[in-house]
Amino acid sequence: MNEPHNKVSISPVGENKPRIDAREKVTGAAIFADDLQFGSALLHARIKRSPHPHALIKKVDVSKARALPGVKAVVTGEDFPGYIGLYLQDRYIFCRDRVRYIGDPVAGVAAISEEIAHQAVELIEVEYEVLPPVLDPEFGASAQAPLLHPDLAKYVVANFIFPEGGTNISNHFKIRKGNVEEAWGQCAAVIERKYHVPHIQHVPIEPHVATARVDETGEITLWGSSQSPFAQRNLIAQSMGISQSKMRVIAPFVGGGFGCKAGVSMEALAVAIASQVKGRPVKLLLTREEEFYTAFVRQGLTAYFKIGCDEKGRLLAMENKFYWDGGAYTEYGVNITRASGYSSSGPYEVPNIKTDSYCVYTNHPVGGPMRGFGMPEMHAGLEQCIDELAHAIGMDAVEFRRRNCLKTGSVLVTGSQMHPTGLPQCIEKAAEAIGWGWKAAPSAPNKRRGKGLALMWKAPAMPPNAGSSAWVELAEDGSVSVGVGGQDIGQGVFTVAAQMAAAALGVPYESVRVATPVDTRYSPYEWQTVASRLTWSMGNAIVNAARDARQQILKTVSEAWEESPNDLDIVNGVVISFKTEREIPLKNLVIYGLPKPDGQGWRGGPVVGRGSFMPTYVTGLDAETGQGERAVVHYTTGAQAVELEIDLETGRIEILKGVSAFDVGKAINPELVKAQMEGGFVQGMSSALFESLQLRNGAVQNPSFVDYRIATAVDAPKDLQAYIIEVPQDDGPWGARGIGEHSMVPTIPAIANAIYDAVGVRLDGPPFTAEKVYLAMVDAGIIQ
Amino acid sequence: MTFHQINLTVNGEAEQVVVASNVTLMRMLRENLALTGVKNGCSAGECGACTVLMNGEPVNSCMVLAVECEGAEIITVEGLAKDHQLDPLQSALINEGGVQCGFCTPGVLMSARALLNRNPQPGEDQIREALVGNLCRCTGYTRIVEGIQAAAAISAAGGRP
Amino acid sequence: MIRNTHPTLPEFEYIRPQSVGEACDFLTRHAADARPFLGGTDVFVRMRDGVLNPKYLVDVKALPGMQEIRFDPQSGLTIGAAVNMNRVIAAAETREHYPLLADACRSVASYQLRSRATVVGNICNASPAGDTLGACLAFNGVLHIQSSQGVRQELLSNFFRGPGKTTLQTGEIAAALFLPLPHAGSQGVYIKLGRNKLSDLSLVGVTALGYPDPGAPSGYRFRLILASVAPTPLIAKQAEDCLAAQPVTPASIQEAARLASEACAPIDDVRGSARYRKQMVKNLSARALTSVWEKLNRRGQNDISSD
Repeated sequence: MNEPHNKVSISPVGENKPRIDAREKVTGAAIFADDLQFGSALLHARIKRSPHPHALIKKVDVSKARALPGVKAVVTGEDFPGYIGLYLQDRYIFCRDRVRYIGDPVAGVAAISEEIAHQAVELIEVEYEVLPPVLDPEFGASAQAPLLHPDLAKYVVANFIFPEGGTNISNHFKIRKGNVEEAWGQCAAVIERKYHVPHIQHVPIEPHVATARVDETGEITLWGSSQSPFAQRNLIAQSMGISQSKMRVIAPFVGGGFGCKAGVSMEALAVAIASQVKGRPVKLLLTREEEFYTAFVRQGLTAYFKIGCDEKGRLLAMENKFYWDGGAYTEYGVNITRASGYSSSGPYEVPNIKTDSYCVYTNHPVGGPMRGFGMPEMHAGLEQCIDELAHAIGMDAVEFRRRNCLKTGSVLVTGSQMHPTGLPQCIEKAAEAIGWGWKAAPSAPNKRRGKGLALMWKAPAMPPNAGSSAWVELAEDGSVSVGVGGQDIGQGVFTVAAQMAAAALGVPYESVRVATPVDTRYSPYEWQTVASRLTWSMGNAIVNAARDARQQILKTVSEAWEESPNDLDIVNGVVISFKTEREIPLKNLVIYGLPKPDGQGWRGGPVVGRGSFMPTYVTGLDAETGQGERAVVHYTTGAQAVELEIDLETGRIEILKGVSAFDVGKAINPELVKAQMEGGFVQGMSSALFESLQLRNGAVQNPSFVDYRIATAVDAPKDLQAYIIEVPQDDGPWGARGIGEHSMVPTIPAIANAIYDAVGVRLDGPPFTAEKVYLAMVDAGIIQ
Repeated sequence: MTFHQINLTVNGEAEQVVVASNVTLMRMLRENLALTGVKNGCSAGECGACTVLMNGEPVNSCMVLAVECEGAEIITVEGLAKDHQLDPLQSALINEGGVQCGFCTPGVLMSARALLNRNPQPGEDQIREALVGNLCRCTGYTRIVEGIQAAAAISAAGGRP
Repeated sequence: MIRNTHPTLPEFEYIRPQSVGEACDFLTRHAADARPFLGGTDVFVRMRDGVLNPKYLVDVKALPGMQEIRFDPQSGLTIGAAVNMNRVIAAAETREHYPLLADACRSVASYQLRSRATVVGNICNASPAGDTLGACLAFNGVLHIQSSQGVRQELLSNFFRGPGKTTLQTGEIAAALFLPLPHAGSQGVYIKLGRNKLSDLSLVGVTALGYPDPGAPSGYRFRLILASVAPTPLIAKQAEDCLAAQPVTPASIQEAARLASEACAPIDDVRGSARYRKQMVKNLSARALTSVWEKLNRRGQNDISSD
């Protein structure tokens, strides 16, 4: 049958395809790392942890633990001298000489049951010499503070991180642009504020789990809940002093990451313990309680802002000082300091700006990446200052943002120019959807309503040369397998990967599967599943791989048909010729190739496309000024707005409506994009209203769901709206940019601005608990 | 340590298992019966990821001893679909996009199934209230709620006997 | 300091006695290392935390009468110790005669936790934050306590001795809660303030109950019981008396709320400050009493219109 071939193929890109993993996940079939079955060989690990925020280890006695029946290994820092860390190698796998936070691992046990391992840990005796702790980053940065890392100057460090040896400052990032001192004189209004953003936890519902096995030849296999199988391969191999090729990481589905399963944390402990019981898998599963104080936490931030504008509302100057409470180790956190520095203007054009962003060691839990990578913390204060500044000159806060926000071509804080951006459209959309300028009556006499809006920007924060790769392979029936090293942590990237491969190759979405689980032995390299970079970076690699496969296919067919490849296309899994209207389904050629005429042999063969992507155009920034040609690959921008109601008798806030509008360049799967916006809003809202790790003398006081509350189904607003703006990105597949993190960046200040709108109080930082809001209203005389 | 032999029904199958006193229903389902759709999120009855139906009522299986389940009927997420036919809740959760990382999903489904069993046409507030014991960090809950509403509508139209 | 939480439940022996006598004997014989348990929702958590380390857990749920909920129109409601909160909420007798108790139960944790949690367990835990304690006290609840000596009855108002401390003796088992018939025309309300909207422990809990009493100068009597602001559930006696002694008006309600706030002695803890709690006792007591008063009046009007 001869169908006309000029019909346009329907590209799955931009379509709301159902999640590729949904059926597995709703039936309980999806395998997560804790679900893997290892049989009776499995040993269980538990960790002996420091009870002190800061102390020297004088002696570790493990003899009683070793003697306990059922214990197979006890390890300490003695056995593992290698440093480990992503940007700054500042930690040992197990502490060797010093402990730096409550929970710091001192020894590890493997036993035949979790309970025996637990008992063995209790039998380990450690003598400490307790040292004074650093519990505040500003104090930590001062000359009076005890030194937590005397060897800081000797640590291996990435060349864009600037530790100050002999201090607790593990990175100092500076912006010096224009002349701030001169600019203050021209300002009609200046706002100066200090904010504190507390430590919070990511709280994936799946706790960290890692199972490691080391075989007789020393080859290591690690099964883990991981955003970063390749980074774990690299960093653990380096620390253990083995070849990366002897370290294999297998990463099944991840039950939520939000950053805490990036880089290396507890995984190295499981590997280290397993190395002492060769042949037996050793599983380490963090309890929920450990999850709260030993997994990466979001760093605390003490931020100072000074922002000024002229009488027309034009932003003239900013002076910012950020003290990041990096915790005991800042191997990953140092780059948060940098990212917040090169983004410290917020999404605004500011001619004069001076920023000092310090990463400071403290004796708090280890800071690490969390959804937003410093941006929610920084925007929390900045976007409140913008509101205050607008009010100070008598301008509507949205109008103020319209005037000052980044537009295409604006000069950025680092001196380069803004790429095409839809931020102005995002502002309009969010303002319109929230009904800006119009106030509804409260639902009861004892309540007050308010609206708030905030903007954001964020770039993928990563080394300049973080790479991606992919392969595309076809099976006998023409179905397609896409190999990737990025991870689906809930964001839906496997679905998007399949959509992009299908579109780039010319096959139906339904015929594509993603080769999972990610396994560093077989999957192609991916730096990490972080920074909202996969749709963009891994997407580019997938497109390249699909094009490679496509070229192989078209070459075979064009030779067989003696046509130009330019006249051929692949549509819906069929190679067609626009010239001759011939067609052949992929399944007829992708494995066995095509026969030459008259039995003269064959051409083609199995098709495997390969592709990689690495941004090659990111330049360094001057260490003294933070100025450079292109600091980052691109910025995703957006706006959120909220409407809330406050109970004057309790201070309780109810979020009635949340609106998100982000410029994602191109939504590969619009419903998945909206789902990111909704989920991010609620996570941001939860951090704004409820969440903080309550630290007292370095100890987390609320390490459980009982006392660390996160938003439940009744706390989340019923009215959640998400709007997609699409101003394409030149280096993204189909113009796409990332959206995973951005949706929780402006939520805190949007809520803070709405609180002010409702009752006229400003708090010095989240969480805006009922108690804080109530007492602030009392102290401000708003209620009696 | 004493071991107990218990007989119970799990997803319609008669099972006999031998467990120590301190083994929870969650551990027994995951470790003895390989029903790993039952998720361990906190072991403290707070997150709801391990929710299963015990004699028709949802329980946090981390807060029930296996030995207490003598004679009980247990349904886990693996028992929701019948003959490869998804429960309307499962289909609706897929269609409405109520699944992201998928770790809370089994518990959410079991709470929702219990809700629809006792109240086939719940309002939005009732749905949200029935989910307070199921923490989800990914979705913001909206699409989960919409999924349950859609499933209730399908069931009302005769989608499930 | 950190608490090295057990990854799973520590080891213990599970005991299921066949009779009350057997249970009480066992508990007496192993006084130091045996505990009775009902839903386990509290015991298991505290065992994982290492706070409790019993060698034996004695499951008393299957003992005679423990699963019964029984209403006698002449005397009142008897709730077996093992009746879970969802059953209490769903029972027609509770909804009709003790809706305040159903409301209090509904505020506890989550549906799936309430499938296991029991009112009697809540009472025996004697947490100052216990949500159902106020309602049970307001209804003048009596605990039926079994021991080898037989059954003794303990007024709840005499039962609580401190956080986690009660008059329950070693070898005794709380078998049932008895709630006498409420006073005619009773109206109640439970207001719970948590850090988030539902499922939290109470930062402050206010139980208020009112009923017409021609013997009271105001014509009404009120009960006002506060959670999480004292070592035990706090009966705000002066507030209660204040509303019996003078006509119930917005002003007298404010006065009663102020007295309640003065009577409580909250502490600062991880959930909230004493200062906030004290203010919330005032505001929420006023809110609860106002709500009860409105219900009493509505009911009065209904009664008149239905005559």
